[in-house]
Parts: sequence; structure tokens; C-alpha cells
Amino acid sequence: MTSNKMELKVHSLGRVEGDLDVRVAVEDGVVVDAWTEATMFRGFELILKGKDPQAGLIVTPRICGICGGSHLTKSVYALDTAWSTEVPPNATLIRNLAQAAETIQSIPRWFYALFAIGLTHQNYASSKMYDEVVRRWAPFEGEHYEIGVVVSAKPVEIYAIFGGQWPHSSFMVPGGVVSAPTLSDITRSISILEYYRETWLEKILLGCSVERWLENKTWSDVLEWLDEKPEHRDSDLGLFIRYSMEIGLDKYGAGPGRYLAMGNFFHPQKYRYPTIEGRNAALIARAGVYDGKDYHDFDQARVREDHTNSFYRGGGSFHPFEGVTDPIDPADGKKEGKYTWAKAPRYDLPGVGEIPLEVGPLARQVIAGRPGAEEWQDDDPLFLNIIKEIGPSVMVRVLARLHEAAKYYLRMKEWLNQIDLNEKFYVKPQELPEGRGFGATEAARGSLADWIQIKDGKIENYQVVTPTAWNIGPRDRHGQRGPIETAMIGTPVKNPEDPVELAHIAQSYDSCLVCTVHAYDVKTHKELAKYEVIKI
Amino acid sequence: MWFSKLAHLEVEKVANLLWIHGGACNGNTQSFLNAEEPTVVDLVSDFGINILYHHSLAMEFGDQVRHLFDQILSDEIPLDILVVEGTVIQGPNGTGHYDMLMDRPKKEWIWNFAHKAQYVVAVGDCACWGGIPATKPNPTESIGLQYLKGERGGFLGSDFRSKAGLPVINIPGCPAHPDWVTQILVAVATGRAEDVLLDELQRPQTFFKTFTQTGCTRVQYFEWKEPVEEFGQGTRKGCLFYEQGCRGPMTHSPCNRILWNRQSSKTRAGMPCIGCTEPQFPFFDLAPGTVFKTQKVLGSIPKEVPQGSDPLSYSVHAAMARAVAPKWAKEDMFVP
Repeated sequence: MTSNKMELKVHSLGRVEGDLDVRVAVEDGVVVDAWTEATMFRGFELILKGKDPQAGLIVTPRICGICGGSHLTKSVYALDTAWSTEVPPNATLIRNLAQAAETIQSIPRWFYALFAIGLTHQNYASSKMYDEVVRRWAPFEGEHYEIGVVVSAKPVEIYAIFGGQWPHSSFMVPGGVVSAPTLSDITRSISILEYYRETWLEKILLGCSVERWLENKTWSDVLEWLDEKPEHRDSDLGLFIRYSMEIGLDKYGAGPGRYLAMGNFFHPQKYRYPTIEGRNAALIARAGVYDGKDYHDFDQARVREDHTNSFYRGGGSFHPFEGVTDPIDPADGKKEGKYTWAKAPRYDLPGVGEIPLEVGPLARQVIAGRPGAEEWQDDDPLFLNIIKEIGPSVMVRVLARLHEAAKYYLRMKEWLNQIDLNEKFYVKPQELPEGRGFGATEAARGSLADWIQIKDGKIENYQVVTPTAWNIGPRDRHGQRGPIETAMIGTPVKNPEDPVELAHIAQSYDSCLVCTVHAYDVKTHKELAKYEVIKI
Repeated sequence: MWFSKLAHLEVEKVANLLWIHGGACNGNTQSFLNAEEPTVVDLVSDFGINILYHHSLAMEFGDQVRHLFDQILSDEIPLDILVVEGTVIQGPNGTGHYDMLMDRPKKEWIWNFAHKAQYVVAVGDCACWGGIPATKPNPTESIGLQYLKGERGGFLGSDFRSKAGLPVINIPGCPAHPDWVTQILVAVATGRAEDVLLDELQRPQTFFKTFTQTGCTRVQYFEWKEPVEEFGQGTRKGCLFYEQGCRGPMTHSPCNRILWNRQSSKTRAGMPCIGCTEPQFPFFDLAPGTVFKTQKVLGSIPKEVPQGSDPLSYSVHAAMARAVAPKWAKEDMFVP
């Protein structure tokens, strides 16, 4: 049998800061191997060394403008645990609200401005739903594209009410928050949240009430929901599900099928005195690991970063408290077989060893399906059921992201009602000259964590592990692929010169990187012909 | 809105815009997407701005982007406005290998596009002055387009002028406010580039002549020298300048004139201004003891005072104001 094997390298597949190149080997029109190459070094951890202990509150949000509020959240908890602060319940509620506001803003913005525009690609023109997809989702011209981009600016108005502005306010500080809202701040936030629900969440996305959508506990429930009313099937969510199944987005992009969530949102009373050890029990959206078969508790001490294939000196795997950030010229690194700026985060699973894990909305929702939730914790079996019924895929990953808009809306409503305007928002901490802290949260796109060491009143070591590192990290020293590398394998590529399927996978992970794809014929190593830019 | 229809009639041609990012966090793009009057979509539909490519928002990827870039560089497609978000990364050792695009250092792409564009706009601190990535030890060798911190020159050099004859238009801020970005783009696209008057740091004067303090709801506490004593409930009165290191009186920006997200500003919410529109941001290189703490001399006098004042005169003025402050200046005003 003659092989039609070729190698592709694709640039600009992600859409945020830095660039991600993806190199894939294609055989008979199917991806058989893949390498993810982050092409920008940023060095924030080197900048933080020797700085004021609170410098992370200003610097780390600037790692990512999409999830700056999430960076601020984990940064402040790293300091809270290092300094043994007291955090009043009001402050926890405001931190929860701000981070949730950022995430529910990100959902329509990512879906319309970053992901769904790819679904208007000409490859899908034969679908009977194509014209409707273009009408709604075409970049800048789509009817719902415009609604979605505009409405995405609303939830972060709530962030600004409490923090002054979004993006980038450092209003969460050890011991609480800087602000002390007034009655009208609360009532305006309630009004803005309801506007989001009425204008987009129920009217455009779901085609039904939030409560009705959240009644779905299984994949067959979702299919029944779809057929229940024309408003459901014709909603953006309904159209997305139907269109995805027709064009095959439910058939590829599975990834490793093993998941990590570090959890987010604290119960206001249960994390009043933040500690590393007490963290998991205080979480509303739970932490945990799912290995494809069983659940495990999350323990930050088991996190590792393997930089063997990354452009840093040496190799091996280290806990972030012992993290190494010693950059080398990538031109030299490539001679050693290194191929990316991202490290390879791994989790040392008891009895198994270091394994790659996918993080993100799908991971969170799979962990939400773990039996044994406390009464204040998120208990939601839907996505565990879905991955068991039809397996993970691009479609399921996107569906999990959209699902969270409904869930987070209800949480925000609850938290706004719990704020006690006559109680404290801040307890001034003692700024200890020594300490070790760990802070983590779930940004829109996944688990995000800081480890800080303070010595002599300054930062001795600071390590940040981002969701993008988890998902787009390279092979480790054992040769295990990273999650997106794994997700690319098995993908059918209709046109190697325009491999939009690879773009869908990268964008379903919402990698923090602008991705690029190159197409190479493996035999001759010549680049395949360039093609005209196609304007829809 | 009536004025966008009117403005549409004035647009004589499409303005091609290319938005490229260097060492960036995407915060300026996210801020830009929060714009209103015009929204990002309005820019395209009403103001004749054709976004050739934006690294986050474009449909194109891979070789489609390369081909577009080639067409710009060969003058097949004219480039009216180049927007740069993020630093120019020159490391290691000037090679630019720390930031690559299409297997080529990003800095080379930026250089080439800047020399093709009619106008070059730096959006955000990173592209203006180097920003946080250029903070010591500046591991990526980051630099702004025409400045490195307060020093003129930057990546393109002091003498750089765009095809239309202007230096880089700097719209700083971390991030830049959406209005600052969209209004300047509208001005250029509607033929009012000559009305964009730049200050000595090449910032549009219309936004950067006043101070962050202008319009701050706490300015009456500043007047009577009443401090915020602690964060949280302590911010229900008082000015953040005296204890929490607020740089509002020293920083040029309209943050309290044109509010953020249509709601507030850092200082109104009780967070000190950290001076993010000025080239020295982050101030004091974030040295120990400088974050959210007013730097003082003799234990009580702020080391830095409002522009045009000197510490001694200011301290005399402050002591007098505090002595005659009205009773309400010591009471909570931003109450539940």
C-alpha cells in the first residue's frame, strides 16, 4: 500500500497572547502525530524575583488579558496562604463575583469572536444549516456575532463596579478587597446580570430558561431538550449541537480523556482563614482528577513541570516550588530536540506516575460529576454522562463551555444576595517577611495556579502554571504527548493546505496563543503551495 | 446613533488596518472589544475600517495569513493603519528568537509593516514603552515602538515617521481604555489625523492632558488631606494618595472623566492608581516596600507630590488644609 503521508505545520491556531505553531504528520488524510510549539518566551517569573511580595497582584494579571481577574484571584490566595490572613466572607463573595463575571463575559466573546467564525468556513457550505450559520456567526457581519460581542461587555461592568475597571485592576488584596460597595453598587450589579440573562443567555443561547437547561442530567436529556420545542433547536446552542453533529465536530478532538480541575469559588465561611491544606474542602466548584475511570483528590504537591522538551536549560521534572526558569536561545534548543517555550505540566498520580491532564470547562464539568459533593458544592453529572455516552470531542468541549454560562449566572445571583453591606470587606494582614503560599483557581480556559516563596520581605521564587501550559505543553521526558497534541491525532484533514479542522481543535481549547499551521509534504520536505485568502 | 450615520457619509475610502501583537497579554484587545460608540462592529460597518487581520479576531490562520502579509509588503494591498499591541521582543542577544511568527522573528515583521503604514499606533503600555515585560531584569529584551520606558528611541528609532509623516501615536495604559483606542482610529479613518495633537510623549492630548485625579470622587478628601486609613470598609471616606501610594495626582489619563466599563474607575472603587499610562510603570520596578504604599520622606511627607509642586511647599499647604478641614471630611461618605 502506498502511503500518502505528509507533515503539516500550522501557524496562528490560537488567538491570544503569543503564538502556537502546530506541526502534524498526516497519512491518508488523517493526522497520525502532532507537536505543539509555543513560540514566545515571556519571562514573568524572572521579573517577579526579588520584587515586593505583592508584585504578583500587578504583574501576573498581565500574563493574560482575557483572564486577568482569574490571575489576580489565584495571586491573592497565594499571598493569603503565605501570610496566614483572615478573609472576611464579604471579600470572598466579591472575589467570587468578579471572577465569575470575567468568565461569563468570556463565554460569548470566545464563542462568537474566536470560535464560531470558523464554522462559517466554505468546507461546510453543503450543509443545509450553512446559510443560517453564516447569517448568525460570520465575523463582524453575523447578527449574533454582533449581539454576542456587545453583550460580552456587560458582565465586566460588574467587575468594574467592585474593582474599578476590567481588564486589569488589582483590587483583590491579601486580607480581602480594596472596595466597600454601597447599596446601589449591588442593585446595579443585579440589573446588569439580569440584562445578560434576558438579552443573550436565555433569548439567544438557550432558547429557554436557565433552570430548564440545567434540568438536563444526561446526553439523552439534552437530545430530548433539543426536540422539546422549536425555540430550543433554533437557539444558538441548539443550532451548534445539530450543526456540529452534521459536520463531524463530535467525531474528533477527543484529547487524553483524563482531566484535572483545581476548583474555584470559595464558600465564604469555610475559607475565612485560607490555608493550602484546607483549600479543597472549602471549594464550591470542586477540585479533583479523573483518570478516565476513577476520581482522585487534587493535591498541589503532586504537580510537576517537565521542561525536557522546552527551551530552558537542562531537563527533568520539578514541583513548581522548585521550578526552573533558565531560558536558552530556541535556535540552540532545537539542536537538542527541544521544540517549544511551554513546559509540560504533569500530575504525579499515586500508583501511576506523571501523566498529562486536560484542563478547562470540560474538565471542570467532569469533576462536577464526582459522587460525594457537599451541600454547598457543585454536583452535576451531565458531562460525565456525555463523555461516557459519546466520548469527548470538539463539540463536547464547546458545549461544556457554553453550559457554564447558565451555571455561573445562578451563582452570581446568589452571591449578590449574600453580601452584607454592614460587615467588613478587609482585615489588614501582617506582612510576614517569610512564607510559602499556593493559590489556584479555574480561569475560563482552565486550572491556573501560583506558587510563591517570600524571603527577607521579597519574592524569592514565583511560579505560575497556566491552563494553556497544561493543554498545549509538549511531550515530557517519557515521550507522553501533551493534551492538544493527543487531541490532534485521528483528525481527518479534508484539505491539507487549509486544515480548518486543526483550528477548531485548538480553538475549542481556547489556547492562550495565536496558532499557526504549516503544511509540508513529508517526502520532499517542500512546503505545499500557498493559497488565496478566502473572504466569506 | 445619528452621528454614526452622518460620519458614514464622510468616509471616502476604506481604511485598511492591520493589528499585530508582540509580547502582549491581549488585554488591549479585550479592552477594545468593550468599546461602545462605536463598538468594534460599528468600526467596520459604519466607519469604513477594514480589518485586514487581527491576531485574535481574524478568521484566517496559517498560510492564509502569510499570503496576506506578503501582499502588504509587496504593496499589493495598501496599509493605512498599523496597530501594535505588546512589546517588540529582541531577545536573546538582539536576535528576536524569543518571539517568532511564521518562522521569522516577530520584530522583523513589525519593522517591515511599520515602514509600509500610513499611520502607526501603539496600543497599550507594552507597545508604547515596554511596559511590564521590560521591567528589570527585562528577560525578553522587550522594548516599545519608539520608547524604552521614558527614553525616546525604542525599536523604530527617534526619527521614525510613518508614510503620512507622523511619529508613532502612543495610546498607553495597561490596558488602554477602549474609547482611547476606537476614537483615535475613527479620527484617522475619517480624515482627522491632523486633529490628533500629540503631547511630548506622543500621546493624544485630548485624553492625556488631564490627570487621573481629575474627576475623582475622592478629590474633596485630597483637598482636605484626609487619608484612607485602610482598604475595604476604610475606603468609604478619604483619599488613597497619603497611605496607599495612589498616583492619581501625578498620572496623565482621563480615567475619571471617561469611566471604565461605563461604571467606575480604580480610584473611585478604592484601588490606588498605579500610574499605568506613564512610561515608568510599574513604578519603582516593584521594589520591596513599594506596592500600595506611599513612599515618604521624614516618615510622613509624600516623596512625590502633584506635578508643579515641591514637597516642602506641599507639606505646609497640607498641614494648613488638614487643620481647617470641615467636619464632614472625617466622616464616611460612600455609605451603604
